[in-house]
Amino acid sequence: MGNCLKINNSDDISLLQGGEISNTQDFAPDQNDPAPIYSELLQPIFFPSPSVRRPVSHLTEEEQVKIAKRIGLIQHLPIGTYDGSKKSRECVICMIDFCVDEAVRYLPCMHIYHVHCIDDWLMRSLTCPSCMEPVDAALLTSYETT
Amino acid sequence: MANMAVSRIKREFKEVMRSEEIVQCSIKIELINDSWTELRGEIAGPPDTPYEGGKFILEIKVPETYPFNPPKVRFITKIWHPNISSVTGAICLDILKDNWAAAMTLRTVLLSLQALLAAAEPDDPQDAVVAYQYKDKYPLFLMTAKHWTNVYAGGPHKFTECDLKIQRLKDMGIDEHDARAVLSKENWDLEKATESLFS
Repeated sequence: MGNCLKINNSDDISLLQGGEISNTQDFAPDQNDPAPIYSELLQPIFFPSPSVRRPVSHLTEEEQVKIAKRIGLIQHLPIGTYDGSKKSRECVICMIDFCVDEAVRYLPCMHIYHVHCIDDWLMRSLTCPSCMEPVDAALLTSYETT
Repeated sequence: MANMAVSRIKREFKEVMRSEEIVQCSIKIELINDSWTELRGEIAGPPDTPYEGGKFILEIKVPETYPFNPPKVRFITKIWHPNISSVTGAICLDILKDNWAAAMTLRTVLLSLQALLAAAEPDDPQDAVVAYQYKDKYPLFLMTAKHWTNVYAGGPHKFTECDLKIQRLKDMGIDEHDARAVLSKENWDLEKATESLFS
């Protein structure tokens, strides 16, 4: 596929880690005394639908599949760098102006956002926050020709 | 509270303050606490509606996960509207639930609520009693909504007939608001209202 935008060489697994966990050792199986409540707190939280909030261990199988698919879709959305020439100067999610060379994610509708802002949103709802276009439908139609 | 929520609310607060609507006194917003988690909104009743001339106060609670989740909004000012609970002020509006988008702001929420006052959706009610009156006895709905706007939101239309009936129930020892609520619900039928209060 012709894609002139920057591509990460390694898989971006930050979404799987919930974005907030920095120390993966907390999940090491050989740890001796993980207090159950403590480990609950460290679990990544997922949102099978916008208002449903669940720690990873409480997800149903169906929800796990849904979230895995969603992560897959999000990773197909191109990441570029803001070059200062675009019409949109601010990320409407955090309402902070883009800086030149900052990483931005492009949605199929061509709206751009900070990568961490839009990923947080897409993990709850696969729609563009600006125009409400369903991201999955737009992405699938763009793949249908292949 | 999460950083993004606070910084966004601060920016949005400024946006409302600079907006056209504040100049026209159609929406207002103020801060309730220092942590930016609770705000008070105010919207003017839209023209050509029974809410015209009234000022409606809203409680706005900002969740820690804002703007990924919608703010929690309810009417503090009592209001007679099919999509707003006449008891709790809870609002039935899609953008405050599943149709929320992170690009929406306090300003767009207040404007959407104003639009809701101008265009009720009785088929998706929050208050079934009000919705039924709206669909079945529209002139009575208009009178009731104007009367509530007058009493609770400072609207201009006084209805002596309503006041007299409320006074009758007050004379029987019923609290004024309870009397108004039950009469509104019973389509201002004093006999039925009395029956429902004392049976």
